[in-house]
Amino acid sequence: MLKLNQVHTNIGGMQIIQDISLEIQKGEFVALLGSNGSGKTTLFRTIAGVLKPKIGTVEFDHVGIHRLPVHKIVELGLVLCPQGRQLFPELSVEKNLILGAYPLRSDKTRIRKNMDRVFEFFPILKERLHQHAGTFSGGEQQMLAIGRSLMSEPKLLLLDEPSVGLAPLIVKLIGEVIASISHEMKTTVFLSEQNANMALNITQRGYVLENGRCVLSGQCSDLKQDEKVRKAYIGA
Amino acid sequence: MELFLQQVFNGIMFGSTYAIVALGLTLVMGILNIPNFAHGHLYMLGGYVTYFFFATLGLGFWLSLLASMIILGMVGVVMERVVFRPLTGQPPINDFIAAIGSLVFLEAFALAVWGPQGLRITNPYPETFQFLGITMTVQRVLVIVAAAALIVGLHFFMKKTVLGATIEAVAQNREGAMLTGINVNRVSAITFAISTATAALAASFLSPIFMLSPSMGAILGMKAFIIVILGGLGSIPGAILGGYILGLIEALGGGYVSAAYKNVFAFGALILILSIKPTGLFGKKEA
Repeated sequence: MLKLNQVHTNIGGMQIIQDISLEIQKGEFVALLGSNGSGKTTLFRTIAGVLKPKIGTVEFDHVGIHRLPVHKIVELGLVLCPQGRQLFPELSVEKNLILGAYPLRSDKTRIRKNMDRVFEFFPILKERLHQHAGTFSGGEQQMLAIGRSLMSEPKLLLLDEPSVGLAPLIVKLIGEVIASISHEMKTTVFLSEQNANMALNITQRGYVLENGRCVLSGQCSDLKQDEKVRKAYIGA
Repeated sequence: MELFLQQVFNGIMFGSTYAIVALGLTLVMGILNIPNFAHGHLYMLGGYVTYFFFATLGLGFWLSLLASMIILGMVGVVMERVVFRPLTGQPPINDFIAAIGSLVFLEAFALAVWGPQGLRITNPYPETFQFLGITMTVQRVLVIVAAAALIVGLHFFMKKTVLGATIEAVAQNREGAMLTGINVNRVSAITFAISTATAALAASFLSPIFMLSPSMGAILGMKAFIIVILGGLGSIPGAILGGYILGLIEALGGGYVSAAYKNVFAFGALILILSIKPTGLFGKKEA
């Protein structure tokens, strides 16, 4: 479903992503692990089209998307839930969600249905429907960001560090929701995390990023046993 | 009392125009993150285009107004496309320079086509009537009513339509807007078109009352800029309220003291308000 072929990405002349190739099949639930500054966000921004690769190709459903503008990629069904949430702070929860469904804007009943499903995952959003997103706590903003990215019914959802800076209880809740997005909604999910414990417990397999290179990949059960991963990301 | 009411009436009329022009400026500022210094000059061009259709081609007033709004809307789209879009991702100073370049071009263009002498279009509604002891012309009342209608219309457009919501979304978080599938370039172009078309509307309504001249854009652009700062950068209600406040200050100051000091009052009010509330009337705590 997603295929990266020797992708290199530069930011301001610095090579951040170096020679990354990876492949994700339809229905998979895959983790991207790596410490701060390892290039996870840059890789996700490259896949979503916010950044363009210097060399290499990104294919989605057998179509090269690395030269397409971001909104075209969203229309194809690849949605990034970005780091820092990137919500619309002075718009209500309702409008943030409606804009999340922008590619479906002519289909009011589908938008209604998707919104109800988001409320099932995060009931608090329904209670705060008319509140501005900017007044929310970090955890609530993360819920809204995930909710917004589900509104357009993505085929592939990239989640960039959804647990960063959140309380353990909220991390647990968000982890459960992400797992059910993958299982119940049949959405392919690519999850980037520093919190390897959480990520390796819910995903099937993972890639480990270090200094912009993919240094390790495999099934989660194997990664959990790997000495390097345990030392660097689990702390055991 | 009559002098007071007369000045309030005039102030509201000036304020209506200021509010519309400032509204357009603030909309584009939200999208570009820089003030479009050429906005006053687009207003000036709108006045001349109306003059061209009305006085030169002999179309009716309303048809000329409509034509002027459409043409200026297209000018806005072209300007966004060829002047500002190529500068995306570059330092803001480049946008500043591009905006100043555009205003010099627009003023020189008007000077070359229509010449330096002031032009005026015949007032389509010169009738006057008395109300509460003050004299009003139909044209001036029309300015006030049209401005109010436009402001209400724009409010509903921004708050009740998806397209309006995308304009707010792009202003509040450009990358977030892209990631929801909004075509940010298209929204920018539409915002520019709205901004320039409404400036043309304001200029068309005022062109029977005031002389058109190629230099009229500079002072109005400057005032729109004051209003936007007065109201709080990027705030739509601030731009509207600021427009009416500036109109009233000028009219009352001009009426009671001297019309020659009109601009002194305007700039004085700006300094006063900013010294009390540095972020403007509706400004956010952090810019």
